Amino acid sequence: MRFLFLFRKEWREIFRQKEMVALLFIAPLIQTIILGYVVRTDVTNLPVGIINLSQSIESQRLINRLASSPLFKIKFIASKPVDAEEIFRQGKSKALIIFREREKRASEEFSFSLPEVQVLLDGSDANSAMIAAGYFYGLFGHYITTLLHREDKDVPFQPKTIIRFNPSLNSLHTMGPAIVALLLTIITILLTGIGLVREKEQQTLDTLLVSKLTPIEIFLGKTLPMAAVGLIEMTLGIMVVITIFDVTPRGNLAYLYLAAVAFLFSILSIGFLISLISQSQQQALFFCWFTMLLFLMLSGLLTPLENIPPALRWLTVINPLRYLIAIIREIFLKGNGLAYFWQDILIMAGLGLVAFLFSLRVFRRFVIK
Amino acid sequence: MISKFSLSRDYKKSTEATKISLAHQEKAKSQIASSSAIEVHELTRCFGSFVAVNRINFSIRSGEVVAFLGPNGAGKTTTIKMLTGLLRPTSGQAFILGFDVEKNLPQIKNFIGYMSQRFSLYPLLTAAENIEFFGGIVGLRRQKIKEKIEELAAIISSDYLNQPTQTLPPGIRQEVALFAALLHDPPIIFLDEPTSGVSPERRRHFWMKIYDLKCQGKTLLVSTHNLDEAEYADRIIIIHQGKIRFQGELASLYEQEKVTSLENFFKQMVSEPKNGSNNSSY
Repeated sequence: MRFLFLFRKEWREIFRQKEMVALLFIAPLIQTIILGYVVRTDVTNLPVGIINLSQSIESQRLINRLASSPLFKIKFIASKPVDAEEIFRQGKSKALIIFREREKRASEEFSFSLPEVQVLLDGSDANSAMIAAGYFYGLFGHYITTLLHREDKDVPFQPKTIIRFNPSLNSLHTMGPAIVALLLTIITILLTGIGLVREKEQQTLDTLLVSKLTPIEIFLGKTLPMAAVGLIEMTLGIMVVITIFDVTPRGNLAYLYLAAVAFLFSILSIGFLISLISQSQQQALFFCWFTMLLFLMLSGLLTPLENIPPALRWLTVINPLRYLIAIIREIFLKGNGLAYFWQDILIMAGLGLVAFLFSLRVFRRFVIK
Repeated sequence: MISKFSLSRDYKKSTEATKISLAHQEKAKSQIASSSAIEVHELTRCFGSFVAVNRINFSIRSGEVVAFLGPNGAGKTTTIKMLTGLLRPTSGQAFILGFDVEKNLPQIKNFIGYMSQRFSLYPLLTAAENIEFFGGIVGLRRQKIKEKIEELAAIISSDYLNQPTQTLPPGIRQEVALFAALLHDPPIIFLDEPTSGVSPERRRHFWMKIYDLKCQGKTLLVSTHNLDEAEYADRIIIIHQGKIRFQGELASLYEQEKVTSLENFFKQMVSEPKNGSNNSSY
């Protein structure tokens, strides 16, 4: 029980620094709120330019539809050809829609004249261009369907899409909970990462080592306070997601805490390892940032895991953040229970055990040089 | 140590440090056991190609106070770290009360107290909280820790007790750090440059404390680069460039090396042709 004294000391040190308390509990909340609203994959207010060279009623109707959609923001409507290239270069709009008169063909059976539509997209932001293209297909497709209905004609083929768990495809619902997982990672890895190095710098580590504390006791005393801080942090984050983002968890949050404990075991072991091998707080911070970025990029938060090339995909298997993000989304959106993700929890605990045993080995080898 | 505190106050009244030293040596001689507390055989430590400590040998008897002298970078801290198990020797052996330091580290931790150069206390915690922590990690019971804190309050003023140690004057910090290092009542005490950065008055006061400890039968190895402190010790060991240059009583140094003062001996020693680029000063 000697480690409890170390626990208490760490706890006191954290709360004695006012800046630290602000950094730990206020900054993450602000970050969650900002990140939740900023890191969104859906495209809204896409600046669109319209070049209407057609005099048809239908082109006007389409323009009205575009104008009434919150997805697009019409920047200008021209009735003469413009230099599209230049408009994209200047960034005035990300998409140009061109309506032209259509040459009538003999086979056409419509009683009205349809314009010819061309969509030009600025691909320098590939992601939003792709999403915008999807919106345009949807919008024009829907328009064609209504036209056919108006003419009493059957639509030959139309897929019926039903979206489960997040029908409005609101990215706040997918990003919000995941950001809580990200915050948990950042706070806990940084705190443990610099923990032991600070003791090295102020020469108190020698005193710990000369005392009867065993490496396991030092590990527990150094990491458990950070785990407690992490769980408090996660609770605050969840409260933000529920109250401010208005995302109601469908599953049992108790499972999330269970998953978080397994996750913290792995992430704190890694943080402890960083602290052991670093010679200064600066070095430790560098290691922490590098690890966090790697974890973030390979977590499925920013890009789907399926997008990662197979050669690199194995790296995601040893990334604990990947599992936590999957679990947090399953609990919040799908309402899944333990039966769906117990393996993930075991993997995180397993990764934790490997990192923990490795850090003990490093401790015995490198701390006593 | 604390019970003897009043005694040290009496010493403080005396102005002649050397007189006290001699009186104490006489008094302590009867107490010195013949067994050796610390034994060092051919102890060597290299950092890459740099030999920090080069095949040193010495032995310290139980109850002895030994000043470990040498310029900065001479190998004092490296030696003390090897004796406390904080560094592994490259070769050679060290024994504490007959236990091999490398093989019996857990047992040895019961016997040794260590105070590092920078009075390693937690700067954000108060003196009392530091004692609570250090007492806790050496396995003291809560009641005992409470008693120890009260004991410390009697030494430093109780105003200081509840101040973060970073705001305490260096002398008080040193006092608290020494108190913390002795919480588990170890028979052998290593003090690594305990008097650096404190006033000469404080230094003298500190050595009075060392005498108190000696009277309790404790063995002390005190490293320093302040030459005047050599006079307080029973014996001195001088290390330079990783090698022991002299060990014995101060008086015999003057005889053996034909020098009139320790300072002259040091001047002579550091002006010798250097091995490598060890740019030492004292």
